Amino acid sequence: MRSERERRLGMTEKASRWRYTLVVAFVVLSLGGQAIRLVMLQAWPDQIRIDSINRARQLVKDLSVERGAIVDCHGRVLAMDVFRKVVCADPVAVASNPCLQDVAETLADPLNVSARVLMRQLGSSRRRFVYPAGYGRTIDDDQACLIKEKGFQGVFFNDVLTRSYPLGASMCHVLGYVNLKGQGSAGIELKLDDYLRGVPGLVVGEFDGRRREIYERRKLEVKARLGASVILTLDQYVQYLTEQALLRAIETHRAKAAWAIVQRVKTGEILAMASLPAYDLNRFREAEAESTRNRCIGLVYEPGSTFKISVIAAALNEGRVRPDQVFDCEGGVWMYQRRPLRDYHPYDKLSVADVLKKSSNIGAAKIGLALGPSLMHKYLLAFGFGEKTGVDLPGEEAGILHPVQDWIDISPTRVAMGHEVAVTALQMLNAMCTIANDGVRMRPYVVQRVLDRDGRLLVEQTPTVAARPIKPETARLMSRLLVRATEEGGTGTRARVSGYTVAGKTGTAQKIVDGRYSDSLNVASFVGVVPADDPELGIIVVVDEPRDLHTGGLVSAPVFREIAEEALRYLDVPPSDAVQVAQGARPLPGGRSGRALAALKETAADETQGLD
Amino acid sequence: MRRLGLDFIRRLEWSGLLAAGLLVAVGIAFLFSAGFRGDGRPIMGYYERQLGWAAIGCVLYMVFAGLDYRIWIRWAWWIYLLALALLLLVFVPGLGVRTYGATRWIELAGIRMQPSEVMKIALILALARLFGSRTRDPRQARHVVAALALTALPMAVVIKQPDLGTALIFPPLALAVMFAAGVPGRYLARLIGIGLLLAAVLAGFTVAPHMLGLDQATQDRLSAMVGIEGYQRDRLLVFFDSSLDPLGAGWNKAQSQIAIGSGRMWGKGYMNGQQNLLGFLPRTVAPTDFIYAVIGEETGFAGSLALLFLFSMLLLSLLRIAGDSPDKYGAVLCVGVASMLFCHVFINIAMTAGLMPITGVPLPLVSYGGTFMVGIMSALGMAQSVHVRKIRSENFQP
Repeated sequence: MRSERERRLGMTEKASRWRYTLVVAFVVLSLGGQAIRLVMLQAWPDQIRIDSINRARQLVKDLSVERGAIVDCHGRVLAMDVFRKVVCADPVAVASNPCLQDVAETLADPLNVSARVLMRQLGSSRRRFVYPAGYGRTIDDDQACLIKEKGFQGVFFNDVLTRSYPLGASMCHVLGYVNLKGQGSAGIELKLDDYLRGVPGLVVGEFDGRRREIYERRKLEVKARLGASVILTLDQYVQYLTEQALLRAIETHRAKAAWAIVQRVKTGEILAMASLPAYDLNRFREAEAESTRNRCIGLVYEPGSTFKISVIAAALNEGRVRPDQVFDCEGGVWMYQRRPLRDYHPYDKLSVADVLKKSSNIGAAKIGLALGPSLMHKYLLAFGFGEKTGVDLPGEEAGILHPVQDWIDISPTRVAMGHEVAVTALQMLNAMCTIANDGVRMRPYVVQRVLDRDGRLLVEQTPTVAARPIKPETARLMSRLLVRATEEGGTGTRARVSGYTVAGKTGTAQKIVDGRYSDSLNVASFVGVVPADDPELGIIVVVDEPRDLHTGGLVSAPVFREIAEEALRYLDVPPSDAVQVAQGARPLPGGRSGRALAALKETAADETQGLD
Repeated sequence: MRRLGLDFIRRLEWSGLLAAGLLVAVGIAFLFSAGFRGDGRPIMGYYERQLGWAAIGCVLYMVFAGLDYRIWIRWAWWIYLLALALLLLVFVPGLGVRTYGATRWIELAGIRMQPSEVMKIALILALARLFGSRTRDPRQARHVVAALALTALPMAVVIKQPDLGTALIFPPLALAVMFAAGVPGRYLARLIGIGLLLAAVLAGFTVAPHMLGLDQATQDRLSAMVGIEGYQRDRLLVFFDSSLDPLGAGWNKAQSQIAIGSGRMWGKGYMNGQQNLLGFLPRTVAPTDFIYAVIGEETGFAGSLALLFLFSMLLLSLLRIAGDSPDKYGAVLCVGVASMLFCHVFINIAMTAGLMPITGVPLPLVSYGGTFMVGIMSALGMAQSVHVRKIRSENFQP
């Protein structure tokens, strides 16, 4: 009995010795294993680990920089950076509170997203940080305050500098916008991006555990250079009245689009450049493609009769025709090279002056033949057709002027009446201004100066001569002839501004639809200069697809008058004719009575016909 | 019982005592550092309170070392029942204190304590009582079953609290004690097999559904089936893929590794731990579960290794006491204390160094925590008591 127990205990004793050793070995080996882990972590860590350790606290931050402002010629702000709030959310925090539905409904309105979408976004995400409705969506301080008052868990705001355009859609095509990455993407914002953008600063330092910077550990700080301000030649008020006039024209004539430019004749400074339809720059992402196009420089059209001025000016300059030289206008239809050429109104015999006044196509075609193709082409180039005007805006078109060797035998007759060529409104206006400016073509521009934040002048643009296509005498003669076009019996009577002489030319071009000239779709335009005897403003108005009325004389000339009348008053341009002043055409309070008088005068005037 | 006088001092096991004392001192020093925020004064008074607890711990150490450990063995069953009752008190409304979604504390007469710490020692005593007797043959299956029941009961309660980290200590502790007590390998192998199977099921219901990309609701349902809380599953998942939650559970894991790693060979110097100083290591856990990360950062590889060495010294001294124990009760007791200590040290360092999921197991003697400090010191005192009485007393019967 006893021996049995002894034997068993003995065995246990032996077994427990062995087990004891095993336990000790186990402890030593496990702790040894951890020591090896420490070697890997601390003593000889690999490069990846060292990098991740160094990166964990490192702070490299671009200091966002305020973009420069864009102002008009009187310093009125057109574009500037303001702080706005970006809504941020921690979906986990939102979902852990029972306010999800409430949050979604509160945010839906200011963010312009449906509450259902927000519910789904915030309710299912396991992330800790999202921008509800995307990054670019900012809200006003007022809206942020309203949301803050509700005290939602997990909803907070970040301040961001965002571009703001106080005028909304006004001048949108000239100004352009800044995309979400802060890059200028159209208009001046694009063209002068390098100046406006400034240079962001840089901070290198360390974070603490809550991702706040530890200021005493800042290693590098490069100060940001603020963006420079751009001063435009445009005048906000002239722009405004131009846009209003175009808006009324579109409404009245149910037109597809309309655009207009106001330019200083002697310098080439652009005072207004409007193109409708327009879009709100503050919501550029919602803009339709059609409305983002700057038609003044980015759309080419067949000019029609307005184009005659350059051809006739060229023929006069070359001495190929005299103003009183009479051409046979064939009674309205002329077969040339077995192709018919028609006038809108039939005429028998017209002098060169009257060809311009009555806008006879046949007369212009014959003057064109008298000038000849190669000279015509040379002059047109000199007037700036077929190439960009060099205006300081992106997206300018060069227009179409075929090389003279590609012309066919009837080309001179067609080009002379503004067919077979395509121009931009700015080119057409510049041809007009050239004639008014004693034959000197100025390069048009919209940027006057660029100033940095300390007021140092970085860029200053001065008037530049681009070409001198015709002699001053020819130019002055042409001007006189063009004044006749707005006098009784001319096509542009509705462009007359009381108190001022207007030199101008109407144009009605049939649009080409499916390769044929359309009978119903037109581009109606008027280009003119006022006052004609001492030119200040050149204005072009183009209306695309007006209904009911089609001609430039009926559709665009009145718009010209509206713009010119108010702009002249605003810019304090002295009237041309003392007699008309005495008649009270330019009364002191301005505005209504003057316009009413002008309207009265107009109805009294012999309205021959808005011919073209 | 023999009277002990000066003889007592002479008989003390000095290496373990030295190691324990150094660990406590290091712990307090780095609690001071962990509470230090760089502006000249510590803003958190952890170290002061820990000093108090250490003092109480020292007194208890001496008391338990002086008293014969066999008293506790004799009363083991009652102590076990008392601890279990304390453990259940956690669920009594008004007594249980709820923090971070778990009820692990009770408050009695203004004193807050963590009954699970008491339970660990009570379990060790009970197992020592069970396997220490020379008359009980550890090869009999009924003793193994009894041991399992003794372990499983408190473990279930602790899981219910829920405190997965503490519950994790129980099975290896019981296994180690049974192994040392001579429970045959085939039983142990079976137990380990069952344990692994359970672990596999657990993983199958938590990690696998996530890997398969099942939707959140299904995942929640599946883990609920095996009784896993959402945050516990998240911790498991984050352990396997810490990119899942870089700001929550993954944050602690990543920052603790960065802290240890950035200490390099010699550390950044005392009170210079950037990870801690700048709040990368969350301030709620730096003095408790992640104190090793603070030490690793400030003292580097040298300091971390030294700390590991101190723990080895302590553990080996406990095992030596077990080997030299005058009776099997003492041996099993010391093995139990050693294995409890070892589990804590191993799990804590492993999770701090990114080798294990974050489970919330403190580092013995070093981490901040009153009940734990007092409990460990008492247990070490009992082990010392075994050593002091290294005289054969074959006839002892409790």
